Amino acid sequence: MNEVWWVSAIKSVIIVNVVLLSFAYLTLIERKVLGRMQLRYGPNRAGPFGILQPIADLIKLIRKESFFPAAAIDAPYILAPVVSAFTALAAFAVIPWGGGWEILGYQVNGYIIDVPISLLLIFALGSIGIYGFIVGGWASESKYSLLGSMRTCAQLVSYEVALALTVLGVILMAGSLSLTDIVAEQQRNLWFVVPQFVGFVTFFIAGVAETNRAPFDLPEAEQELVAGYHTEYSGMRWGLFQMAEYINMLTLSALAVTLFLGGWHFFWLDWLGPLWFILKLALVVFVFIWLRATFPRLRYDQLMSFGWKFLLPVAILNAVVTAILVVAL
Amino acid sequence: MDVGNVLVWAVWFVAAFACLGSGIAVVSFSNPFYSALALIGNLASLAVLYLLLSAEFVAAAQVLVYAGAVMVMFLFVVAYLGGRADAPWAGGASWQQVAALSAAGALLIEVFLAVGLEASDRLSEEPPVEAFFGGPHEIGRLFLTDHLLAFEITSIVLLVAAVGGVILGSHTRRFEPGVDR
Repeated sequence: MNEVWWVSAIKSVIIVNVVLLSFAYLTLIERKVLGRMQLRYGPNRAGPFGILQPIADLIKLIRKESFFPAAAIDAPYILAPVVSAFTALAAFAVIPWGGGWEILGYQVNGYIIDVPISLLLIFALGSIGIYGFIVGGWASESKYSLLGSMRTCAQLVSYEVALALTVLGVILMAGSLSLTDIVAEQQRNLWFVVPQFVGFVTFFIAGVAETNRAPFDLPEAEQELVAGYHTEYSGMRWGLFQMAEYINMLTLSALAVTLFLGGWHFFWLDWLGPLWFILKLALVVFVFIWLRATFPRLRYDQLMSFGWKFLLPVAILNAVVTAILVVAL
Repeated sequence: MDVGNVLVWAVWFVAAFACLGSGIAVVSFSNPFYSALALIGNLASLAVLYLLLSAEFVAAAQVLVYAGAVMVMFLFVVAYLGGRADAPWAGGASWQQVAALSAAGALLIEVFLAVGLEASDRLSEEPPVEAFFGGPHEIGRLFLTDHLLAFEITSIVLLVAAVGGVILGSHTRRFEPGVDR
């Protein structure tokens, strides 16, 4: 059943705000969890248990001077963080988070939009988002920024290939590029994490690299590059870059949940879809943070040889074996 | 004219002119970095035109492969070379100019013919566009049936290019005595 256009509009507003709020609290949760893992308290001054810390950070960032290097090239310098933040937010439009309900006689779907190529759309948006990082680093006219953005570029291009190939296994098994179809298929049979376990692990590793998270956070290796591509950014422009990074992490976790962990589906109480979805998402995000607290950063050559000589062959093998099995069975 | 039609026309208008504008921008910027950015804009607006032709898969692949992966490499190289990039190209041999002009002229004549035929109602019936048109299934089927030969030849060309890249990249330079490296 189709839903009325204003229901979609309201849902979009809600989803954008929920994602922004989760980003804000993700920073707090990350600092708290990292703190506990390192035998510290983490932020605990702003409000009870520090729960107002993200709000304090936001006010600080907004009131801070948006520093503008004299040599920077105006338009690309200002537009770069906007592009990154926009593409990161837009990807959430196609991720399904519920089975759909009928509220007061109106149909409410569990997604904002369902296109037959939603998986490709997410990857396409991600590949445009990379330009924000590259152009931002280039337009800053600083050697650290440029080197940082070059590293980002090389890393993202390398791991994007492996990421796309691991997804191929899921596409072959579901026979569709639509995320709602993929979730429905897992609901009928089995969560894809079981038959596609290799794919899941490769996807997760490539995803950690794709979102520039530790131990693959070379673009921001502070000992070598100060802060990578956003060295010359401050205030809310820097905030937008951070937002893009954290939301990309959320998107990738949401994608992992949707592709491999059954999406919003759980064994019972399917009308509670969003709750299951958020719980699974929280679990995946926690692993992201856990990795950051556990592993030291890789060297650049280790990163490249791992991506091309190990992860990519495994991903190709996984896709080929899946294809053979899908045809044979 | 209903609202949907107006919307399609508006999107077409914006995308078509963005396409032309960014195309002109690609060849008129003197900074190669801006030219590459304009080319990304051009490829993206082409993708919007594909969407209007209900070719969603092609549109997404266009953004993913061309505007995404390929152009990243362009930007990578241009940003690394920085100011050391060559001076703007001053034009090729005269036969190239003649060929380019005649190809553009042929395209222009084709456009005029198509518009004229459409205006005088001499084009035959509009082809039926089914629901699955432009979908991944249909494109995959065509790739492996009608266009199999072209598809396979393309893959061999790409393979040759990849092998060539590896050979050029792994070429070990010999130490030349007396030359500081």
